[in-house]
Amino acid sequence: MVLARRWAFGVGRWARGTDLYNKVAILIGLIALSAMLRFDGSSSAANGTIRGRVELRPPPQDLVRRPNPGDVGMPAAHGPTDRRRSVVYLDPAPRAAFDFREEPRARMDQKDEAFVPHVLAIVAGTLVDFPNNDETYHNVFSLSKPKPFDLGRYAAGSSKAVRFDRPGIVRVFCDIHAHMSAFILVFSHRYFAVTDTEGRYRLDNVPPGTYNVVAWNEGTGEDTRKAVVPEAGGDVELNFALGRSPATPSRQ
Amino acid sequence: MNINPQCCVVATLLLSAAVPGGARARSLPTGPVSAFEGRVSIGAEVIATIGEEDETAFFNYTDYEHNTLRMFRVGLSAEWRALERVNLVAEVRSEDLDAVRPYAAYVRVRPWRSVAFDVQAGRIPPTFGSFGRRTYAFDNPLIGYPLAHQYLTSLRPDAIPNTVDDLLFMRGRGWQVTYPAGSPEPAPGLPILSAFRWDTGVQAHWRGKRLEATGAITNGTLSDPQVGDNNSGKQFAGRIAAHPVAGLVIGGSASHGEWLDRSVTALVPQSPGTFVQRALGADFEYSRDYWIVRTEVVWSRWTLPFAATGTYDDLDALAMWIEGRYRITPRIFLAARADTLGFSKIADSSGRLVDWDAEVARFEVDAGYYVQRNLMLRLAVQHNDRDGGRVLTKTFVSGQVAYWF
Repeated sequence: MVLARRWAFGVGRWARGTDLYNKVAILIGLIALSAMLRFDGSSSAANGTIRGRVELRPPPQDLVRRPNPGDVGMPAAHGPTDRRRSVVYLDPAPRAAFDFREEPRARMDQKDEAFVPHVLAIVAGTLVDFPNNDETYHNVFSLSKPKPFDLGRYAAGSSKAVRFDRPGIVRVFCDIHAHMSAFILVFSHRYFAVTDTEGRYRLDNVPPGTYNVVAWNEGTGEDTRKAVVPEAGGDVELNFALGRSPATPSRQ
Repeated sequence: MNINPQCCVVATLLLSAAVPGGARARSLPTGPVSAFEGRVSIGAEVIATIGEEDETAFFNYTDYEHNTLRMFRVGLSAEWRALERVNLVAEVRSEDLDAVRPYAAYVRVRPWRSVAFDVQAGRIPPTFGSFGRRTYAFDNPLIGYPLAHQYLTSLRPDAIPNTVDDLLFMRGRGWQVTYPAGSPEPAPGLPILSAFRWDTGVQAHWRGKRLEATGAITNGTLSDPQVGDNNSGKQFAGRIAAHPVAGLVIGGSASHGEWLDRSVTALVPQSPGTFVQRALGADFEYSRDYWIVRTEVVWSRWTLPFAATGTYDDLDALAMWIEGRYRITPRIFLAARADTLGFSKIADSSGRLVDWDAEVARFEVDAGYYVQRNLMLRLAVQHNDRDGGRVLTKTFVSGQVAYWF
């Protein structure tokens, strides 16, 4: 479909220099192409929404600092790590989901010795800024296969950026502060959502069809369930319960 | 090369749990274990170091008579936040599956909520210098230890020479020292600052925005930390450190404490009253981008009596080292340390001036690889030169697997 769009874009530029007859012919072609796109299922006319809630059992605790007997004083309190956030996504996603024209950019702060947000979900190709908003050095790095990187040590007020090109889960750490960690989930499509503090999520503009919907949380693993978006669109409610519960089997 | 079988077994287990990279790697904990809603946190460190035996030169032996380049060490640390501003901190260690020893055990109290001032009492972390508090695998960029913290001199707290010649006879033999007065059993000598035992006492620490200060009163000394008091004398130690900009630490330390055991001071006919170890130190650290550079200088003076003559002399030692680490990739780093330990001169019975112990120089280069964030492999080449003892020069190759959570 991306190729078809590129063809249409190229034809459009060429059409500026042709006569009326040819322009009409091209217009007819474009209408036909538009019909193809509708048939392809990516039209937004009857798209639906998948929404619901991800419940975590038990609710995850904040990350604790590793005991360091070598500290001669009480270590500074670090900011809270919001481990309640989960990520819900379609797997696989509708074909139209892979078409991006914008160059996305996101941000993961380092504040009070914590990464904010603790969970970030992005599309592949996103440039993520890592500003240091603390008074100490930080050294953001990852050993994860989709994007191993090391930004080195940099001071307050500075920022460095990394582009995440490959889908996957990237675990982010600080080399200086062992209690700092975060997750970046990189998707090849745009049908994903990070839950709010209550666990609620919402996936909009989902074309009609049957989908595998995956809910992921760092502490409890993931669960996959089916969702059917009817031809007429509308809301589909799908709730998850991740963790130790006999009623909700988890893939963990 | 004769390999320590314990280290091989542990190294194999750790690597087999992690190297495949998939589901099995996740079976190793990556963070501390917590309980009671996060009020208790427990961490651990397992280090298996594989290297050749060294039963002739003893360059890397510690005061517990283990070789740091051929050691299996397990440490378990815990912190209990009993109250909002009261913590209990403890660590136990076992080296080469020997007896489990308490390394740290203290209570930490923050009297005022809004002031970064803490009092710690019990078996407390070292006040002097910087290296003594970061002997953990993730904080020590090399497998080996600085000479000042590990190398054994020919001084013993429980035995003394009759004459200067007795002292000089032990030059370069700090791993097994005997003297005619005091304990007759051969035993290891003292390092300048022990990195393998922590002292017992009370410590106060204040931290401001750009400055921090620490003071402590303890039972032992830098070279011979104690649980109980072996001589009714206390050590006073202090350190001031400045952090003018992020990444830069400049510190200065001093200490003064009685180091000889009371069983030995009783043997000296005309005792001057106290036999002290005095020390001064300066430390510097700068880090930026992928670099960390640290350097430290430690000067120490022990007042040593001679049993036969009743005289005493001041023996000085000066240790200096500089170390650096550079991360080449997220997984791979290189580190190096250059290290010297020198001693003052003393006149022997013929009037000739001789260093009271053999000078040592060490250079070590390490390459490290992170299998995962808290599982590290290291390979080290360490060269030692000494101006006395059975072996004057020796190069060691060692490998290490270190895991912590």
